[in-house]
Amino acid sequence: MDKLFIARGVSRTSLKNFIMWIIPWILILIVGVYAVFLCLYEGLNQTNMDNRFAFGLWIYLDLTVIALGAGAFFTGFLLYILKRKELKAVINSAVVIGFICYSGAVGVLMVDVGQPLRAWFTFWHPNVHSMLTEVTFCITCYLGVLAIEYIPIILKNRRIKQISSMLVFEHELHKLVVVLAAVGTFLSFFHQGSLGGLYGVLVGRPFAFRPALGIWPTTFFLFILSAAAVGPCFILLTTTLVSKISRKQLVKPEVLQLLGKISGNLLIVYILLKTIDTIIWINSTSPSLGFTAASFYKYSGFGTWIMFAEIVLCGLIPALMLQNKKLRARTSWLVVAALMACIGIVLNRFVMTIQTLALPTLPFDQFMSYVPSWQEVATFMAVLAYGMLVYSISYRYLTLFPQERELQSM
Amino acid sequence: MFPWIYGFTWTPGNIIFLGIFFSVVAIIGATVLLSFRRALHSIKTNSMESIRWESEFHDLPIAARTCRHEFTGEFKRRTCDNGFDCRSCVTHGNLMKNKATNSDLIEHPIHAFGFTIPIDRLYHRGHTWVKSNATGTYTIGLDDFASRLVGTPEGIELPKPGTRLQVNGSAWSFKKGHTDVRILAPLDGEVVAASDGSEGWYLKVRPLTPSVDTKHLLRDQEIVPWFLREFERLQMKLADPKIGLTLADGGTPVQDFPKAYPDKNWDGIFGEMFLEA
Repeated sequence: MDKLFIARGVSRTSLKNFIMWIIPWILILIVGVYAVFLCLYEGLNQTNMDNRFAFGLWIYLDLTVIALGAGAFFTGFLLYILKRKELKAVINSAVVIGFICYSGAVGVLMVDVGQPLRAWFTFWHPNVHSMLTEVTFCITCYLGVLAIEYIPIILKNRRIKQISSMLVFEHELHKLVVVLAAVGTFLSFFHQGSLGGLYGVLVGRPFAFRPALGIWPTTFFLFILSAAAVGPCFILLTTTLVSKISRKQLVKPEVLQLLGKISGNLLIVYILLKTIDTIIWINSTSPSLGFTAASFYKYSGFGTWIMFAEIVLCGLIPALMLQNKKLRARTSWLVVAALMACIGIVLNRFVMTIQTLALPTLPFDQFMSYVPSWQEVATFMAVLAYGMLVYSISYRYLTLFPQERELQSM
Repeated sequence: MFPWIYGFTWTPGNIIFLGIFFSVVAIIGATVLLSFRRALHSIKTNSMESIRWESEFHDLPIAARTCRHEFTGEFKRRTCDNGFDCRSCVTHGNLMKNKATNSDLIEHPIHAFGFTIPIDRLYHRGHTWVKSNATGTYTIGLDDFASRLVGTPEGIELPKPGTRLQVNGSAWSFKKGHTDVRILAPLDGEVVAASDGSEGWYLKVRPLTPSVDTKHLLRDQEIVPWFLREFERLQMKLADPKIGLTLADGGTPVQDFPKAYPDKNWDGIFGEMFLEA
């Protein structure tokens, strides 16, 4: 029935199977929308956050998806600015993933601010000395860039491109995509950095506070580097996942290996700098603020294993694995390494958001525990469902992997 | 945000931050507006057909974009990036400088791989042929390979006399099953006659300029190797993926491939063989 909308030369599951696939996600989305309604109608008392624990699951989700969505800007940068043509095979998918991540993050932020109708205030009266202002401006602009980059992919749909004016606009817009890639890189550089800087400037939170390099704390640079390192890994993971679910080869193995290699190189630099930063923090920054680093890790469940898991297990080890050409040549190892690297960054964002706020900083403070309410979890799940729906529909009707047709005919 | 907004101060922080922000917004806006303006210009100048071809060509699989000089063995492997427009291809120009063209056109068709291949005409990569007439017009038809590929279509849409054709733009289209397939025009010109009667489908076209540049069309010794390559590509598509490639059995190709292989993905095959992504 919908065959006329599916690209030539590629096969997709039947419409019935596709509907069966998306129904569970639609149901999750509906529950999430209800949770969002409750949060907006009843207020943020529907969440388990409070004035003391103001950053919870949602901000953690935002930080994580924005880090993982960095594959969009970084792949665009590599393809259009550094001319790594091999990455053309995944750029469309990267743009869609980036769009999903950023639109999902902005959507959750709208709920998180409690009064989304007043969100314009941050633009109208910006506090230019706040890292959050920079994050807000850059993420909003970058979401606009991603939406514009998404347009040519949609206009290339088999039916839509039959309308000549649409095809011509797509063609002309695509010609200027290098400008958008450059703007996207610029914006991503700053908002990824500012998200890290946000924690690094918290002088009242010695667990997160870091000394400044120039005007930015070291976390500014570490967040940029970690997002750039893990972005290609997430593209690699999603491509492999879609390939497994659809039982089709979508890109040539060399493309995945290249993504792994780029990630590996960046990850090794990141881990090196992160290690230096951590050593300085343990020996200088934290003691100078009156805390031994060990005092942050004495709470049950939040021991030094987290640091080990983040930096060594899911940082150094996948970085070394991705450096190895023989391991990269084997898809299973490549995927394991990419997964570990993504977990490492997810853990890093968890530590920076949740652990930072949970730790006591004043003598009368307690280690705070926080368990998200069902409304928070449902909203979180709604973003996941939204992502699955947008990606599934895009994969079915748009050309996300240009090599797919060729690989299917071989 | 603006000087007239409450709270705004002329501080370096404000000026730098907002200056960068407004520059970024201006760049994004200008990019979209410029694309829009260029698109309008292209529509006004009737460049839509060439844009469509450019867009389609780069989306074709590499196997469908083989350079013609690979057929003749001048290159072991070469992919065309020029939309099969050899008229503006420097490499083609250089290679043809030292090559003697065969002015003695062979009258009798060659029979190869079960196809009838007349050599007295020029061929477009989209499986149309072009033959000049004494009246100054050109006849355009579908080659034997394409005729068998199409078999008996459910409907044909031929252009009306007076329609202007553009190289690699739409010449005519047919419907086969649920698929609409367009046939690419091999020449620029104005349609003076169209027929889908007993003589087969053909168009008679009057060129728009006195001299017609046909450098982009295949000729002479290129034709048979090209047919072979196309037949191989088709066989690859028709091969059972569980068995893989098999040797030909020595028979001749059937008159209607889709009828003989009804379960194949003809939508994809038509797209690839008739150069439509």
